[in-house]
Amino acid sequence: MASSYIPATSSQINHQAERGMQISLLVISTALKVLLFPTYHSTDFEVHRNWLAITYSLPISQWYLEKTSEWTLDYPPFFAWFEKLLSLFAAHIDPKIVQVDNLNYDTMATVYFQRTTVIISELVLFWALQRMLTVMGNRPLQKIISWSLMLNPGLLMVDNMHFQYNGFLYGILIHSLVDAKQGKLLRSGILFAALLNFKHIFLYIAPSYFAFLLRAYCFENSGNSIRARSWTSAFRPLHFLALGISVIAVFVASLGPFVAMNQLPQLAGRLFPFKRGLCHSYWAANFWALYSFMDRIMIILISKSPLGQYVNLSLDTSALSATTRGLVGDTAFGVLPTITAQHTLILTVLLQIPSLISVFRKPTFERFIGSVVLSAFASFLAGWHVHEKAILLCTVTMSVAIANRFGASFNSGSGASSDQKGLVLTPRDVRSFMIVSLAGYIGLWPLFFTRPETPIKVLITAIWFVIVGTGLDQCIPKGSSWSMEAGPSSTRSLLRHFTALERLYVLGCVPVQLYVNVGHEAVFGQDTLAFLPLMITSVYSAVGVVYGWLLYSAAYFSSSTALDKKKMR
Amino acid sequence: MAPTTFRTKGNSSKSKSTTTTTTTTNTTVRDSPSGAFDRSTELKFGTTASISASTHVASAGQTATSRLNLAVYRYSTWLEENQLKKSAPWIAIAIAALVRWAVSLGPYSGMTTPPRYGDYEAQRHWMELTLHRPAREWYSDQSKWWDLDYPPLTAYVSWICGYVGDKINPEWFAWQSSRGFESLDAKLYMRTTVLVCELLVYFSAVVVFTDRWFANKAWTRKHTALLLILLQPGLILIDNGHFQYNAVMLGLVVWAVNCFLKDQDVLGSIFFCLALGFKQMALYFSPAVFAYLLGKSLRQGFFGCIWKLIKLGLAVILTLGALFAPWLQSQEEILQVVHRIFPVFRGLYQDKVANVWCAINVVIKLREMFEIQELVRFRKVQRTALCIHRLLDITLYTRRGLLYGLINSSLSFFLLSFQVHEKSILIPALPITLLILDEPAIASTFVTLATFTMFPLLKQEALTLPYYVLLGFWVWMTFGTCKNASTPLGLLAAVMISGLHLAETFVLPPAKYPDLYAVLNALWGTGGFALYWAYFNYRQFTMANTPKTGLKVTKTAKVA
Repeated sequence: MASSYIPATSSQINHQAERGMQISLLVISTALKVLLFPTYHSTDFEVHRNWLAITYSLPISQWYLEKTSEWTLDYPPFFAWFEKLLSLFAAHIDPKIVQVDNLNYDTMATVYFQRTTVIISELVLFWALQRMLTVMGNRPLQKIISWSLMLNPGLLMVDNMHFQYNGFLYGILIHSLVDAKQGKLLRSGILFAALLNFKHIFLYIAPSYFAFLLRAYCFENSGNSIRARSWTSAFRPLHFLALGISVIAVFVASLGPFVAMNQLPQLAGRLFPFKRGLCHSYWAANFWALYSFMDRIMIILISKSPLGQYVNLSLDTSALSATTRGLVGDTAFGVLPTITAQHTLILTVLLQIPSLISVFRKPTFERFIGSVVLSAFASFLAGWHVHEKAILLCTVTMSVAIANRFGASFNSGSGASSDQKGLVLTPRDVRSFMIVSLAGYIGLWPLFFTRPETPIKVLITAIWFVIVGTGLDQCIPKGSSWSMEAGPSSTRSLLRHFTALERLYVLGCVPVQLYVNVGHEAVFGQDTLAFLPLMITSVYSAVGVVYGWLLYSAAYFSSSTALDKKKMR
Repeated sequence: MAPTTFRTKGNSSKSKSTTTTTTTTNTTVRDSPSGAFDRSTELKFGTTASISASTHVASAGQTATSRLNLAVYRYSTWLEENQLKKSAPWIAIAIAALVRWAVSLGPYSGMTTPPRYGDYEAQRHWMELTLHRPAREWYSDQSKWWDLDYPPLTAYVSWICGYVGDKINPEWFAWQSSRGFESLDAKLYMRTTVLVCELLVYFSAVVVFTDRWFANKAWTRKHTALLLILLQPGLILIDNGHFQYNAVMLGLVVWAVNCFLKDQDVLGSIFFCLALGFKQMALYFSPAVFAYLLGKSLRQGFFGCIWKLIKLGLAVILTLGALFAPWLQSQEEILQVVHRIFPVFRGLYQDKVANVWCAINVVIKLREMFEIQELVRFRKVQRTALCIHRLLDITLYTRRGLLYGLINSSLSFFLLSFQVHEKSILIPALPITLLILDEPAIASTFVTLATFTMFPLLKQEALTLPYYVLLGFWVWMTFGTCKNASTPLGLLAAVMISGLHLAETFVLPPAKYPDLYAVLNALWGTGGFALYWAYFNYRQFTMANTPKTGLKVTKTAKVA
């Protein structure tokens, strides 16, 4: 990388300025999160309070058996231990918090305490971002990403309003990814194994980790692809053993006690409740939202049109009313074939395999992080009973992928040298990231159906979109041979790299959400067609997420196949 | 990988910064009385300002460089570098609105405390009253339930809010049956009306003000000021937390100042009359406005002066006349309105509102306890007489003189009146906040102290959480400004304020003096405000003697 001479005093000053900036980030995000204390908290708040009570008051043997509350412990053991740690403090704040039968206890002290634990636990995310900055380069692009993640509307909404501990968990994930970037693969693997034992949703991206660690850590990595006959000679048994043993050790530490107590089936039943339906009561913005939507459209078309008399279809019209707010259950389909858990599993695996092969052929960090993103997408888009909150897995890993790129450098003018071709931030990266984020976060809005929270969710998403969108846009290197797709930079607007259709989508969010949040109730009243706004949000978001995924996949595979071909030649 | 690199500006202009910083202090103090600016100074200033963001450690605390070490300032620089100048005010407004809305999720004054509730119920009742009664009965309503005692513009705004609210849900403002009505939706609606009024009047006024006040200065400075002014904690806590519409009155005053800055004096005086017509507290500013307009008129030559005074007089009479039109038909009615608005005429303690004020006003309690109110009053009457004399001083006709005049007259009023409510400190706090980048150390600490004096009130209303967050954030935001300001005093203030808070949190007051902390708070506040009053008077007085500051700076800048 071309760099100019920097006087010592100046770099000292810069160093101080950088530190000041990071402290600013911490202060601003903390202040905002504390200010959000009185916002609506969902049943997840009671879920976590109940877990505090369970882990504090009951012996380990009862943790996964206890069912006084309907919100049973359904996270893996490490998270239970984490709750146990918090409960030690909770008992000091108010002993009533940790009583198992004290259901729906949410006094002000309880709320303040639990919300504070979220903020403190998110220091792990802050720490991870600091490491990311030192490892991936502390340049404008990386700084924007660190601000974007720490003040992320998705995390703010899910963690600091709705109530969960995602910031903490994604902090561990970013630590693990940064380790992988640094080449500390063993530590990366151990951290990820631990993360799986905090929250099993990270199984979504486990295949990428598996492929990457197996190939990069357990085989000789000479930089060229290994020919078939040298596979055995490239194998490094010591590394394999080290990784295998440490990962197993993590799982033993977590699951061991429950295996010893013969509770593994019980635990598995809690963690993987397959009784739930394909879609959540509110459809997450994925394939199945589009699928269900098409089904509804076809039911209406067939039943309303004269065609219906001739088509011999046994219509299950109950499907129409099945997807209303609050009804958790199986999603019924009227016209289209019913989807089973096996179907979703096969589809997910099929979608994940190409990127895994790509990682296995050339285990660079760039490919690995891209594959993590694509695995997250595959699971989110095609998975069984996916929560809308899982979009965070896509956007957070995408953020790390972008932080790994080279942005425009403000020092040398050209920024990256030619050998970093392919690692440079492209308009396509920014477009897919911004569209997926916008769609995904708007997809989170229905979590807050209470009116007082509406301005907050709208404002934090809009402010984030404008600032991060513009910041990333400015980081796209300009005027060089490798940014052919940059296009004319005559307009300096935020959306200048977007195509007409994408602009339409982004701007279309405004009228659509106006209707969903205000218009629908004004036209139809509160109770009629209550599912319609939810369906509109979910389908509109799904379109954006699927589009962003296609864009990202295209970028990933075109760049990786181009490099492969180059190597072949 | 290359070593950490920073923006070009930070690196290349490093050598310049050490020389230019020396001029910065002078540059900010300077104001050319005629309003004409030396362009070269301004350009010089622009560079200095942008450099100082990245090289804040270069100078050892005594120069203006370090006070621009604000996170807000760096953020503004970033916006400028990223071509976000156009949308930046919108982002600032969105951020300020977000903060306000987050605060308004909390409790309000008198929430679930029958029988009288609080300011929220007063405002709600006025909407009910204006909606269901003809205008002529607004001020003569004898129901003894939160009498309307604000001037007519408040009543008109209440009527609009009541009218719209009635369309949404008639239950909220039903005649008599809605007294003490509380529901989540009603609260939401009332909170929305406050925010909308703020957006329309106050936010717009502040955006225009920063545009005009920093017209020839670096954009980043302008934007920094905008963000700081919009995030001033006191006003947010009272308007969006406690529940009032102060920002409307203050916004109208800012609009008046905006017009004065552009020499649109007639329009300005109309705005000022509107402010008076919204809340009589705007009278705190009136000596300064009067002196400013008079001083300006006196410089127009004999006939010019007469003509200008006629124009201004007509504008004032017509505006006030229009506002009070419904009650102008008989002397009795207009007197009734005036009596309601100025309960002083009826004796302080006859009025119910005054009684409620007495009950909750810790300042009054304090004075009763020490039995010195007569003394205080006497001394302050003297002071005000002196102050008004100064305000009439010729210097006031400069734009800077106007703002200092607003500060001095309102601060004198605040210190004078013994029936003062702690919320009234928002009135002097407004012009002081507007000077946030001209008097950074003084203005930021004043706002801190002003917010601190409202703590007993906010504590009573369970608004301590937003209080701590917003005040802490304000102190942090302006911290760079405090570093260079007479540190011992600033430090002492910080220690006393945080010490009092810590003590109040962890140590129960002795049974003999349950209000000990409130009393200490008020004592501390009064002492502090008196110091500020002395300082601002000094500033106003000395400003006139140094009209050539601008020239001086140009010279030093050239030397540098």
